[in-house]
Order: sequence, then structure tokens, then C-alpha cells
Amino acid sequence: MELALSALITALLISAMYIVVALGLAFLLSVMGIINFSHGVIYMIAGYICYQLAVVYGLNQWLSLIVSVIVISAFGIFLERYCFRYAVGNLDRMIIISIAIILVLQNAVNITMGGYVRSLPSFAPGTLRIATFSFAIDKLLTFLIGAALLVILIWFTRRTKYGLQMQAISQELEGAALLGINVHQISAIACAMACGMAAIAGCLMGALFNLSAFMGDNMLIKSLELVILGGIGSIGGLFFAGLLIGSLDAVVPLFSSGAMGQVIALAVIIIILLFRPQGFLGREYH
Amino acid sequence: MLLEINGLTKLFGGLSAVKEFDMYVNKGEIVGLIGPNGAGKTTIFNLITGIDKPTKGKVIFNGQDITGKRPHVCAQLGIGRTFQLNPLFPNFTVSENVEASFFLHPQSSLLDIYFNTFTYRRNEALIKEQSLSILQLVGLLHLENELAKNLPHGYQKMLGIARALATKPSLSLLDEPLGGMNPDEIEFTIAAIKETQEQGVTILLVEHNMRIMSICQRVVVINFGQKIAEGLPQKLRENKEVIQAYFGDENLA
Amino acid sequence: MCADEKQTASKSNAKIIRLAIYGILVFILALLPLLIKSPYVIHVFITTFIYIVATVSLRTVTISGQYPLAHAAFMGIGAYASAIMAKLMGWPIWLTIPLGGVAAMAIGAFIAYPFARLRAFYYAMVSLFFGLGINQLIIVSTKWTGGAGGFTNIPHLLPTTDKVPYYYFTLVFMVLCLGALWRFEYSRIGISLKAIAQSHLVASSVGINEASFRILALSVGCFFVGIAGAVYAHYNFTLSPTCFDITAGLWLFVYALIGGLSSFNGPIVGTALLIIAPQLLSNLKQFVPFISAAILLLVFYVMPQGLVSLPQLLSYWIKERRKKDTLSHAA
Repeated sequence: MELALSALITALLISAMYIVVALGLAFLLSVMGIINFSHGVIYMIAGYICYQLAVVYGLNQWLSLIVSVIVISAFGIFLERYCFRYAVGNLDRMIIISIAIILVLQNAVNITMGGYVRSLPSFAPGTLRIATFSFAIDKLLTFLIGAALLVILIWFTRRTKYGLQMQAISQELEGAALLGINVHQISAIACAMACGMAAIAGCLMGALFNLSAFMGDNMLIKSLELVILGGIGSIGGLFFAGLLIGSLDAVVPLFSSGAMGQVIALAVIIIILLFRPQGFLGREYH
Repeated sequence: MLLEINGLTKLFGGLSAVKEFDMYVNKGEIVGLIGPNGAGKTTIFNLITGIDKPTKGKVIFNGQDITGKRPHVCAQLGIGRTFQLNPLFPNFTVSENVEASFFLHPQSSLLDIYFNTFTYRRNEALIKEQSLSILQLVGLLHLENELAKNLPHGYQKMLGIARALATKPSLSLLDEPLGGMNPDEIEFTIAAIKETQEQGVTILLVEHNMRIMSICQRVVVINFGQKIAEGLPQKLRENKEVIQAYFGDENLA
Repeated sequence: MCADEKQTASKSNAKIIRLAIYGILVFILALLPLLIKSPYVIHVFITTFIYIVATVSLRTVTISGQYPLAHAAFMGIGAYASAIMAKLMGWPIWLTIPLGGVAAMAIGAFIAYPFARLRAFYYAMVSLFFGLGINQLIIVSTKWTGGAGGFTNIPHLLPTTDKVPYYYFTLVFMVLCLGALWRFEYSRIGISLKAIAQSHLVASSVGINEASFRILALSVGCFFVGIAGAVYAHYNFTLSPTCFDITAGLWLFVYALIGGLSSFNGPIVGTALLIIAPQLLSNLKQFVPFISAAILLLVFYVMPQGLVSLPQLLSYWIKERRKKDTLSHAA
């Protein structure tokens, strides 16, 4: 029973993290119209920066996380300005620049950090006891942070000026520009936020699981699954997709293997997309 | 009757784009389908050629029920079509546009094509020859190596008509062939359409330029997806409902 | 008809020149092993030849307007199918390689039918997920494929451990495949595919069955990438699912895009450059990815249509320069 509950918590937790990271990808896709294949390595590098600051330089771990997020968000602005802006609406160029970013970041990490798998120390070690169950505090905390981020993001896109402008751009680019919305500025903000969210997830997951140069690959796949299944431009759709995929990923490995879970999840996604290409709640693309 | 349309209806959601539409076209005629913008003319074309599936109704071509059959099947049966928007292969040259359209007649089998057999080479030579004569008919021969997307608008429309002729249709559906043309081009196009009719092609054309009425044997007027009048062009000029559709009701002013 | 004759004459002149250039290149490549003895360099070339077939077959699919992000997974299908048939069932390799291609083609044709209905972007995404699914399926089927650990001791293609015979085999293999794919593209089949890509409405109005042609393009593309994968399997003797994952899928596209998807030669140039140049330019294995990244960035910023667009770009810059000179002289 405790095993099942622990698995459930882990499942919810992973779903939450998938959703947070996928939101970054979703932002970029709906606001800028690009599929950022390098999203995974951004997630990864944030974890390593945190590691470097916290473990190697001895900075307080939470502070390291914050610094990492700030650095990565700034990197996001750089990426928008010098890279993604030229690849908008052009899958070819986007593939090229994404692979270039992946090459540089992944191999920089490989060279400087070597091949060992490392791990960030836990952000909040210890366990919490409620009734007869014990929960790992760091997992709970991660889940709460993820949930909080989701709420903040929903509030942001629906209630703030910038969020609404992002929605405007994602629905009707030229119209939005004609209304005086500074597309470049909003795109930069969206990109910074996307990278920032990936960064938070990267640091937290790096503490819960392991850091490796390739940890981003799986996260990229999950993000793509969530975004496309949920539909472009829909946070609600992404949320449902996240729950679906997260549940599958949590439940199937109990009976079979992790890879089988992936196969089933992908099969389900493909079948759904064949009947409803725009995903759960998405709008038409291009 | 070459083409017969019975009770054609198309609903998009709750909106009826075409409602209980009947018409027919006899062999060798030029029939005009006219009406204001948004009346449903292009939709009817799409329904005939199978790009959209009708909600109700039948389309009968040459005695055969072709309701909802896919576009390439309609082409095989002898229906050619031009498009109002995006009527060409933009990255092909003018001659490539026409040559690519000779897919059906003469049709080489895949094996013939791939292994460059004698049949294939003979067919391709025939195609080349015929495409040159079509280009001459529409007056675009001098531009044969120009990319289609670089052509001025009027020429693109002409090329669209040339392209439709390549399918050797028995019925040619022309969607706003005069769209965006200047008076000279209009005269030229009208003459080319007449010439096509003389070569034995039946023509159904959609227009909202009244000029086209001069070459139509019959005109069908449509508004809001429904037929509001039909008959000889001269008679319809005086028809109250037609005038109302185009110019509005005087009493409302 | 005089102008017409001139045109056909110049067209066949262009053909002859093109054939001559290819012939010279093949001749030089044939001589290469006599000049370069390093097995490592030979290996790089062998890999290049195999991947050129893969990327050109990728292009064959893209000319119909579809973006098969799963193409690397099909290479995997061909590779694993041939390896399984050869190792576990003991069939001869000259049979399993084409069968590997057929397996890839069959699966490609099977999914092409439902996928062909989808418009470009959605097709790309579904293709991506399909490729991921195949990759995971390979990992899951440990009994057959060795799973994530890899599939080892695959029967050798040639009864020798020397690389040079493999070099000539793959060179001939590449030339034959490229010839076949070239013919496919430049015949009426290819014209019809390009027509579909430009305007599927107009194409279907001239009688081109859009779905059938898309399936044909995908099937042919899958067959060739399948046999390329099979050859790779029997050359490399081991297989690992990571060769055919999402990154591999994107890399196939990168190879083709760097050269340029607009011309048949594009993927050839791109693949050759991206595989050979970094290996030869760097003495340290560690820097290879950065050289590749540099090439990618160069193309991204300077010639986004790929290297084959370089002559066009250069002539454009030169014209602009000349204009500026004449203007400044006038002023």
C-alpha cells in the first residue's frame, strides 16, 4: 500500500514536472510559432549550473537554483534575439539551430563534467509523516512548486498585460502587431519564461533524480507529447495531456517496463492525433 | 444533359452555404453561374468535384452519380477545373505547369514512367507538343520558361485555364476566369473560352462580372446558396430579384 | 521550332555535363583507398556513403511535401529486421538486406495511408511520435533486438575484416541507390509529387491521386533508408537503439538541410560535409561536435537554404556589389 501511494506521489510529481517543462515549450510554440527542440538541453544545463554553484562553489542550494533560473532566463532572451527570431515559422531552420544548441551545450557538459552521473543533493531532505504514511519532503515540495507555477502561469496568461498580449500574438500575429503589440519584446519575455520554467524543473529534478548530459532528451519527448496532444494555444489541453501521459508513465511500469509505457503512450497519442490532429483543445496551426 | 445537380445542400455547422440547389448543363453549352460574393458559387464547384462532400443532394455527370467522389476521380471522368485563388503550381515554370497537368491523357503506367520506356518517351513528346499548342492558344508561349509565381495576375489566370484544358475535359469548370483582369485581357479570355467551346468542351463558369453573360447560352443566378433565377442572359438583366441581389432593394434606401 | 530544338540541345548538354561530373567524382572516390591507408578515414567514408543514401531517400519523401521526422526510425527497422533475419534465422545476407528494405517499406506504406490525410505540420508531428514509438518498441523487444543494450555479433556483410572491400561495396551501393532515386525524382512521378507539394488542390484537379502518390513517395523513401540501415547493420556488426532515436531523426534532417533540400545534390553535399569535415579537421575527438555546430550556425545565419544555394547567393552579392560601385561612381 505504501509502495502504491509512493508511486502515486511520484507519478503526480512527474506529471507536474512534465507540465511545467511542457508549458515552456508550449509558450514558444504558440507565441513564436517554433518547436524548440533544444528545450531539453536547456532543462539539463540549468541543473548543471545549479550543481556547479551549489556543490562545487558551495553556494546555498536554493540560492543556486534562483541564480540558475536567472541565468537561463537571460539565456532565453539571448536565444530569442539571436537565434529563434530567424527561425520563426520555418521548421527547417528551427531544426538546424536546435541541433546546434544541443551540440554545443551537451558536449560542453560532457567535456567539462565527464561521463559520470551526478546528482544534486536534496533540496529538502527528510520525510513527513501523516497518519501511517511517510512522504519524502523534497518530492512533496517539488510537486507543490510545480502546482504553484501552474497556477501562477494561468494567472499570468489570463490576467496580466503581458500574458494577454502573448495570447493575442499566438492567435493573430499580424493583427496583434498592427495593434501596437511589440512582438519582439513579448517573444523575448515568453522565451525567458519558457527557459526559466525549464530551469526550475531541471534543478528540482536534478536533485530528485540524476543529472546527466542526456537527461533532457526524455524531457523533450515528454514536452512534445504534452504540447501536441494538448493542442497549441491551450493550457487546459496541456494539463489534461499531462495527466494522461503522467498516469500512463506511472502505471504501466508497474506491470511491464518503462519503455513499454512509452510505447503505449505514443500509440495512444498517435491514434488520438489521427482522429483529432489539433489535439485535445488546440486550434488549427498555420 | 452532361451535368445534373439535384437538391445540392451543404451545411457548415449550422450555416447552409448551399441550399437545395438544382441546375443542369447540356453538352456543348456555356452556362454561367453568377451571383454576388459569398453566394456559394465556389462551394458548388467544390461540391461537384468532391473537394467538399455534400450534406444532401446528388451530382450526376454523363449519367453517372459522382456525388462526393474525390477530385482526382472527377478529373479522370472528364471534369476539368480552374481555381480562383492559388490556381497554379507556383514554383513550376509556365510550360512545366501545363506539362504537369497532362497527367491523364496520355497516361503512362508507373513502370513505363520509371524505366523510361519507348511508350513513356513517346507520350512525353506528345505532351510537350500539345502543351505548346495550348500555350499558343492562350497566348503565353513567349513566357514558357518563366516561373508561374512571377507572372502578372492576368497571365496567371490564363495559365490556369490552359492548365485546365490539359486534362482534355468534357466539362470545364472555370472559377472566376475574369477575376482581376483588365479589359484587354477580358476580351482575350472571352475569345479563348469561346474557342474552347468550339473545340467541343462544355463549360460551366462562375463569375460576378456581368460581362461574361455575352457568351453564355444560359445563366443561373444564385444568392445565399440558393438559386434565385435562371434563363437567357438578356431576360435576366431585367429580372427584379437579380437586380435586388446585386444592387439591393430600392425600397430600403 | 528552332528555339525548341536549341532548348532540347542545351538540356541534353546539361545532362551530359552533369553525368560527367558525377562520373569524375565516382572515379576519384574509387581511387581514394589507394591513396589513403588509414582505416579510420575509410570508415568515415563508408559511413558517409550509407548516410547519403539515407538522406537522399529522406528528400524523396520531402518533395511530396511531407516531413517524415520518423525517417531514422525506418532506418532502424531496416537495420534490425535484416540483423534479426540474418542472425536469429540464419538467412543469407544478400536476401536479408532487401528484405530489411521491404520491411521498412511495408511499415511505411501501412502508416502512410492514415497519415497521408494529415496536413504538413500535423504529419510531421505524428511522424515524429511514430518514430519515437518504433524506437521504444525496439528497446522493449529485448528478446529479438537486444533492447537498449544493443544487438551484437551481427553476421558480417563481407567475409573479410579489411575495410577497403566494404568501401567499394558501399560506394557501388550508393551509386546504384542514387541512380534509382534520381530516376524516381526526374520522371513524371517526381513531377507529380512536386505538383502535390505545391498545390494539392490543383494536383488533384488534373487527376493526380494525392494520397496514392504520397504513399508511393513514403514507401520508396522508406525502402531505400531501410536497405541503407541494413547495410549499416552488417557493416557495423552491432546496433544500438540510440542510432535511431529522436536525435538521429533530427540529424538526418540536418544533414539534408545543410546541403539544401531544394536540389537532389543538397543532401549529398550536406551529409558528406557534416560527417567528413569535422572528423578530418579535428585531431581531438572532443572538438568534433563544435565543428559541426559551427557548420550548422554558418548555414543557419548565412545560407539558410543550404549549401547548394551558395552559387546563387554569391552571384547575388556580386551583383549588389557591382550596383553599389556603379552608383558610387555616378555620384
